[in-house]
Amino acid sequence: MTTETKPLALTVNGRPVGPVDVPEGLMMQDFLHEYLNLTGSRMGCGQGICHACTVIVEGEGGALREMRTCITGAHWFAGRTVVTVEGHARHDAKGEIVLSPVQQAFIEHFAFQCGYCTPGFVTGATVLIDRLKRKPVARAELEQVVTEALDKHICRCTGYVRYHTAVRDLILATPGLVSG
Amino acid sequence: MKKRTLLLTAAAVILAGAAVAGSVFFGALETSVVSKAVERPLGADEMKWLAERGAYVAVAADCYACHTAKDGAAWAGGLPFETPFGTLYATNISPDKEFGIGAWTRAEFHRSVRDGVGKGERHLYPAMPYASYREMSEEDVDAVYAYLMTREPMRVPNRENELSFPFNIRQSLTFWNLFNLRREGFATNAARSEAWNRGRYVVDALGHCGECHTPRNLLQGMESGAYLKGAVIEGVEAPDITKEGLGRMGFDPLTLARFMKSGLSAQGSMTHQMFEVVHFSTQYMSEGDLQAMAAYLFDLDALPATPVPPPAPAPVEVPAPVAAAGRGTYLNLCAGCHGADGQGIPHVAIPLSTNASLRLASPRNFVRAVLHGIPAQRFPGLERMEAMPAFTELLDDKALADLTNWMRARWGGRQPIVTDEEIAKFR
Ligand code: FES
Ligand code: FES
Repeated sequence: MTTETKPLALTVNGRPVGPVDVPEGLMMQDFLHEYLNLTGSRMGCGQGICHACTVIVEGEGGALREMRTCITGAHWFAGRTVVTVEGHARHDAKGEIVLSPVQQAFIEHFAFQCGYCTPGFVTGATVLIDRLKRKPVARAELEQVVTEALDKHICRCTGYVRYHTAVRDLILATPGLVSG
Repeated sequence: MKKRTLLLTAAAVILAGAAVAGSVFFGALETSVVSKAVERPLGADEMKWLAERGAYVAVAADCYACHTAKDGAAWAGGLPFETPFGTLYATNISPDKEFGIGAWTRAEFHRSVRDGVGKGERHLYPAMPYASYREMSEEDVDAVYAYLMTREPMRVPNRENELSFPFNIRQSLTFWNLFNLRREGFATNAARSEAWNRGRYVVDALGHCGECHTPRNLLQGMESGAYLKGAVIEGVEAPDITKEGLGRMGFDPLTLARFMKSGLSAQGSMTHQMFEVVHFSTQYMSEGDLQAMAAYLFDLDALPATPVPPPAPAPVEVPAPVAAAGRGTYLNLCAGCHGADGQGIPHVAIPLSTNASLRLASPRNFVRAVLHGIPAQRFPGLERMEAMPAFTELLDDKALADLTNWMRARWGGRQPIVTDEEIAKFR
């Protein structure tokens, strides 16, 4: 059996990738792991349920969207801008690693244990904060909004409460995300 | 002189018309299928053995699904029904003496279920399928009555209906009944087998399948000329379940009987209201009743010993650009769960290569599922299907039209004639 390939070009973590020949039906998760050696996004269920595999995709106007890489073909990402969990932290002038505010909050709250689900939670929380920057949420609705945004992420070590508190506290501490 | 005669005639016609309307309104033309025999109250022993039977009859007639609100008290009503005339609420049929039917006599119960006239001559709205239950046997209605009386009384008041004038006048239903109620109850067709007749009884009287699968006329009555030929309910198509319709969807009688039991088949999983029907009703039906239903729907006197699936529709040619776009979208967004060849993943995602919604004349059900998704669902026997995501933000009308055309042509044997505008209407 021959696998039909198609050239694929996209931007991953700020770097242009490709064009590279990629099988038509290859899932994005496999492309990230096998072609780019970016193994941070986790294969959990492979069925679109656990959300351990999600990455950020920049949409129109720069709004961020969370996509499950286990059930989305690599070619769907053609021409798009993707951020995997490897793309959140930066190096500062001295070459030291600076975590993203979400990553930092998870560490401070001891949110994760084994860490398998963490790339997905980092993605989900980052997308939520991006959304609130565009459209702040009323204080009274904040708990609900955080729950809904993280709800789809499964953590087998059941760190849900700490993940929730970390994200909520970060939102409260970041100016402009909460109205009223 | 001439003028006077004319005037008099006109007055007479108007008066006669008013008299007819009046007599319809006051129920003079209403027919009852309830016999005098039910005026005798049932004895305690009778009630006891009838109640046991009634548990099954009530399940087959699916009473619970409508008479229990989501997260509400069992049998206490409250489930809303959106109709073109306003919202109706199902009533409390627990045996509470004040709010339920605890104070109803056997005869009053019979009249409400089969004539649509409740205690105190109050007309029921036909959201209660009395037009179908009219064909229920006296014994089955007794059984449900006895069974309901063994349930726990729920002190839950009935919710007021929110209907516009004149539909808020219950008595006006005499007109509806005049046009939409059969005069007689169930009649056995001696030319057909026992299974066929039982099947018709389960389909028409208990299961009240026609309430959704038969299109409605202007008066919202079941259109007898299009019996079971399919209708749109709450934006979803309740498909044609005549033998032609079922065959087009890929069913044979034995597969259909199993589908009603399990909610799953190669043709897809039960969704929307049919998911609830399986959940509350058909999964508990006896093998005999399910097979009888299948025999009747396929118009057979006896079922074949082994399933003989109808041939799959032949794929249809699609213009190259549509095929390229449709197939590309399929591989990118669908194949992850439904497989590159539409084979699905057991217990996770249904196969699409044999899916019924791709074979229907209208793309409605398929397009709606893609746009709005389907929640995760549990099926009998620890079976389940995972949630189908909503793709409304990820697919524009053009992309979805191409996907729809390509999939329907490939697996449904349907011409690629779905337009972007048609897709837009389903958003
Ligand atoms: S691995 Fe993608 S959702 Fe579980
Ligand atoms: S930290 Fe172990 S799965 Fe979430």
